[in-house]
Amino acid sequence: MLISPAGVRAALPHRYPMLLVDRVTEIVPGERLTAYKAVTLNEPWYQRLGPVVDDAELAYPPVLLIESWGQAAGLLAQYDHPEPEALRTNVMVVGGISGAVFHRPVLPGELLEHDVRLVRALTDTMIFEGECRSGGEVVFEVERVTMAYRPAGMLREQPVAH
Amino acid sequence: MIGRTTPVLEPPVVDRAPEALADRWVAATSTRITGEEIVFAGHYPDFPIFPGVCVVDCAIGGALAAPPPDAAPLTLAAVDSARFVGAVYPGDTLDVTLEWRRREDSWRCQAVASTERGKAASVRLRFREASC
Repeated sequence: MLISPAGVRAALPHRYPMLLVDRVTEIVPGERLTAYKAVTLNEPWYQRLGPVVDDAELAYPPVLLIESWGQAAGLLAQYDHPEPEALRTNVMVVGGISGAVFHRPVLPGELLEHDVRLVRALTDTMIFEGECRSGGEVVFEVERVTMAYRPAGMLREQPVAH
Repeated sequence: MIGRTTPVLEPPVVDRAPEALADRWVAATSTRITGEEIVFAGHYPDFPIFPGVCVVDCAIGGALAAPPPDAAPLTLAAVDSARFVGAVYPGDTLDVTLEWRRREDSWRCQAVASTERGKAASVRLRFREASC
């Protein structure tokens, strides 16, 4: 089973420039998922760099590796909560991250392969682990990401109008 | 310092330069989260919330802006942990307190990020020194 780019876009509330999964090549519901994210020099994060940069400056932001991997985990989570009504009224929130280790910088032009495994599913909380590879080499791994479904209204309660 | 690609436009301000305590350095930085941040366009289109990973990025940016004076140039090696407890919205100022400790061949940084409503996240970062 897989999810096309259109399916990814339909399943996640994120949009440009924060929709960081391109496609899903394998899902075993309740167990694991493999997703791809292509990193390009055309991403907006590179817009503000000066006229001359070195490769170190072009390293893809490590926190966006976590976000991209987390969105892949979110897609796996949805296969356990597929009711559209629940998705409209609830949002998935990352509660915690442990042991996110970056093995080497990721540069534009790399195709990232996220492997996500569901470690434990409680009533409204799920715990994932996994890693991210580029050309077969592990570039990032994470011991534990905890996600929870929360009522969307809770997040919309903004204290100040903007 | 080498520039770093980050999803957060606004640079951190160092409010309290690193100060030596018995076994650690303490510092404080802040980042204004304006509605101009590009992440808000897609996170999410109808209700802007500053992404949790961007709160972590503010902690990383703060740490790199206020490193221990006796450290060589630092590179992020790991986010040992991050706990998200409060949402961050456009218009907030994210205050980050930092505590640096050297552990063998790396520097650990315990960061607490807060808005005026209270704690947003606690983050433990690990940096390695450039071996040049």
